[in-house]
Amino acid sequence: MASPGTIFRAATLAVAGTTVFALTACTGGGGAEHSEFSLLINTENNEIPSVLTTLSEGVCSDQNNALPLEVETVPQTNLDQQLQLLAGQGDLPVLYSAGNAPALTEELADSGHVMDFEESLTDLGVIDRVEPAAISTIENLYGGFHVLPFEYNIEGIWYNKALFEEHDLAVPETWDELVAAAQTFSDAGVLPFSASGEQGWPITRFIGNYLYRDLGPDAMERIESGEAELDDPEYVRAAQAVADLGEAGFFEEGVGSIDMDTSTHQFLTGDAAMFYMGSWALSDFNNEEGNDIGAENIGFMPFPEVEGGEGNSDQLAANVGLPVTMNAQALNEDTGSWMSCIVENYGTTGLEQENRISGFTLGEEPEGVPQLTQDVQELVTDTDETVLWFEALFSTEATDTSQSNAAPLVTGSLTPEEFMTFVQADLF
Amino acid sequence: MKQVLGDKRAILTLVGPALIVYTVVMLVPVMWSLGYTFFDGNAITGFRFTGLDNFTRLWEDTKVHDAFVFTLKYAAVVTVGQVLIGYGLALLYVFVLRRYSATVRTLLFFPIVLPTVAVGLLFQQLFSIAPQTGPVNSFLNMLGFASIDWFGDGGSAFVVIAVMDIWRSMGFYGVLLYAGLVDIPEDVLEAARTDGAGPLRLVRHVVLPLSWPVLVSAVIFSINGTLKVFDSIMALTDGGPGTSTSPLTLYMFQTSFTYGDYGYGSSVALLLTLLCLVVTVFIFRASRRDLTKG
Amino acid sequence: MTLSAAPSSRARTLRQRARRNRLRRLPAHLLVALLLLVVIGPLVWLLLGSFKTQREFLDEPVWALPTQWNFDNYVTAWTTGNFSQYVLNSVISVFPALFLMLLLGSAAGFALEVLVWKGRNGVLLLFLAGIMVPLQMILLPLFTVYFQTGLTGTLWPLVITYTAAGLPLTVFLMAAYFRAVPREVFEAAALDGAGVIRAFFLIGLPMMRNAVFTVGLVQFFFYWNDLLIALTFTNSGSLRTLQVGLLNFTGQFGTVEYGPLFAAICINVFSMLVIYLVLNQRIQKGLVAGSVKG
Repeated sequence: MASPGTIFRAATLAVAGTTVFALTACTGGGGAEHSEFSLLINTENNEIPSVLTTLSEGVCSDQNNALPLEVETVPQTNLDQQLQLLAGQGDLPVLYSAGNAPALTEELADSGHVMDFEESLTDLGVIDRVEPAAISTIENLYGGFHVLPFEYNIEGIWYNKALFEEHDLAVPETWDELVAAAQTFSDAGVLPFSASGEQGWPITRFIGNYLYRDLGPDAMERIESGEAELDDPEYVRAAQAVADLGEAGFFEEGVGSIDMDTSTHQFLTGDAAMFYMGSWALSDFNNEEGNDIGAENIGFMPFPEVEGGEGNSDQLAANVGLPVTMNAQALNEDTGSWMSCIVENYGTTGLEQENRISGFTLGEEPEGVPQLTQDVQELVTDTDETVLWFEALFSTEATDTSQSNAAPLVTGSLTPEEFMTFVQADLF
Repeated sequence: MKQVLGDKRAILTLVGPALIVYTVVMLVPVMWSLGYTFFDGNAITGFRFTGLDNFTRLWEDTKVHDAFVFTLKYAAVVTVGQVLIGYGLALLYVFVLRRYSATVRTLLFFPIVLPTVAVGLLFQQLFSIAPQTGPVNSFLNMLGFASIDWFGDGGSAFVVIAVMDIWRSMGFYGVLLYAGLVDIPEDVLEAARTDGAGPLRLVRHVVLPLSWPVLVSAVIFSINGTLKVFDSIMALTDGGPGTSTSPLTLYMFQTSFTYGDYGYGSSVALLLTLLCLVVTVFIFRASRRDLTKG
Repeated sequence: MTLSAAPSSRARTLRQRARRNRLRRLPAHLLVALLLLVVIGPLVWLLLGSFKTQREFLDEPVWALPTQWNFDNYVTAWTTGNFSQYVLNSVISVFPALFLMLLLGSAAGFALEVLVWKGRNGVLLLFLAGIMVPLQMILLPLFTVYFQTGLTGTLWPLVITYTAAGLPLTVFLMAAYFRAVPREVFEAAALDGAGVIRAFFLIGLPMMRNAVFTVGLVQFFFYWNDLLIALTFTNSGSLRTLQVGLLNFTGQFGTVEYGPLFAAICINVFSMLVIYLVLNQRIQKGLVAGSVKG
């Protein structure tokens, strides 16, 4: 489990600088002058604040003295709204989570609120400290080097090795095998999949991956270009497959009320056999406190193939997490110096402290990295073709529609056709 | 004589500040908001004149239709629930409990002063199924029924919302309508009783007509509040699952602040305003006609 | 025999009637008990929950009593949950708004009802229109204005918006209360050389002490429990009011910490209860007046 201590610390930091004189300090609104190195981040992300805090107390302490780090959090479901509000007021902090949909980041970039890192990191002389692969993933997603790769993740299904052995199951390589395995667990009274329906995306990831396996790596680009529509039968098929999982009772009853931490908890206590998640969860997996099944007991399976499909399971789903970007209007000597320090040191500190694989190159070989993390790191290096996720190319509204309707889809209160039609209607 | 109370400077000093604040903060923004309905965009991207596009979109947008229907459905169900149960309570106070009703009245009235957000979160826990089973589902289990995923489906989520809002406000409507009932003169009732009227006939032919005006104003007040419902749904379901419990107010808020479309958001707000106006006028007129008939 | 039989049989019938009465009232008493259980039960459960630990929430049945009676959860909510800040923000925004709104509103009510001038009916109607308009209609323009005048990032937008949003009802109610006072009282005072404005402050306002207090009480609940305005205009964690803070409470901890959440709801609910216990009669009268006349 993410240590609550970190969250408490972040919360305390967030109020540390605030004063009771909020009423009298009525000169807010100015964009350029920041008296803190402020960071607005979604509450669910504990790693970035924690690594930045470490940096601010260590290698970046000079920068921190000039411009102290200040973290403020907002729940991920409220993030886009908060960003719109702040951008409207010219009040964006120095660093901020870039929004749930890349489309929003592009909108913010168009209005001059997002840093062009290609240019600024070159000016600062640290551009070579970012992995080229990460830059290209970011450019594909955001139409430019607009966010920082604090994370570089692959996604797939993590499974409980002991449970698979106990029920004499091989690691599924096809969708049908996956369903069969789930049925075995379900019959044995083990929850097959833990997933947060409150977040929605852990469920829609199944749809996206199914589409990439079934229709090939360009499945979602065809939607974006208008060549195909989500309510076409071959697309609805994917939603149907996921709805069938729900109907078979493979997700927790009341999945719509399960939050992120609860779903992680269910997997790590051995209540659930499988857990679709990105490699960012490694920090939770490697945290002995809260992991009852043990990191050595967790395996990673790439999303299985769909029989007769055009994609294959080497095409790992990859992303840069919910990335953080920088307010273009906040660039000055102090913030620039902070930037350089972060780019140079984040990779190693992140890996050592949080088991977080980032898109920054490692300065020196980090020590004491657990086996599971090493395996994943190798998998990342070996992967050359990646795919995105279901909502990657959607507008904010379509992303919202997709994720908030995910739970109704698996509980059966929405049909697959309705689900896809709703999302299609909000696409543009 | 009149001139003393017609002192121009005094009038200006007394009414001026309120009028200025009211005009600047409420009237002008209402007009301004009307202006927004002809534009597309927001404070980040700037505005673009689009003529009547927002209204055509309003006409065709299925989400608006759903939100509109939900708003009406919610207003109808909750208003009927609040006023009916409130009226029942009022009858209970006046005819059954009589002098001893004060304590009960006071206790049942209390929830209305509670913050809706707090009540919303409370009900979320009362009806929860995961990660732990809440009291309502535990009670169902005790009776031998399976737990219900109340917030997993638009229909059952609606039930919880309606139950919550009726829970919050029934005591209030009880007192509101009680105020109308106690004004009925005792001798009128006594006269009807000596004529041999049973309790039901008494209510139907004497109490109901006499308390009609206060009943109508309760309905109008209730419908005006329920059409504008925001806090309780925001706290309880946030419009979910999906958008199945989103009223117009929530949709307007999302459109404006989450999707950054001020023009369209203003159009939805305008629709809501007109809806409130039309419904109020309709009920007012309908009740008048009824009264002259009865 | 007949002499003694008559009273005894009358006594018997009386006793029978009393028992029948009691029996007849039994359903009513059961109903009242059920109602009280429905209203008070959830609140008691809430209070018990605020003492439980996370383990007790997840592992024990929902009916179980807490195993300890300490205020750890309250301390967590108050400090780590930032509730001290939120309460302060609510106080800083609600009370100045309340004061301004009552001052402006009763002055305007006085000018509109007691003073004699052309167009006062028109102005009163103008204020009345404000009761109908949904607040959604004014949010977007106000948002833009507050930003451009540099007020965002402070609590001023809340104070200003609350003041204006409360004016229509206050002006209307105050005008209604002043209607009950004979105009001659003020005329005489003004003629005595006090002047109209002094007559308002020295006679009108003190005379309306009770009315002002009642109206203020009603508006206090509207302001204190408001979510919509506070959610729109608070752009940072340090400006959140109690309700916005409560809505974001689960987010604050990343996961649902039930104990502190229940404690936070309790703080919100039982502070209102204290106010209600002291002032329940006035609150009931005030809220009812506010709705019937609105």
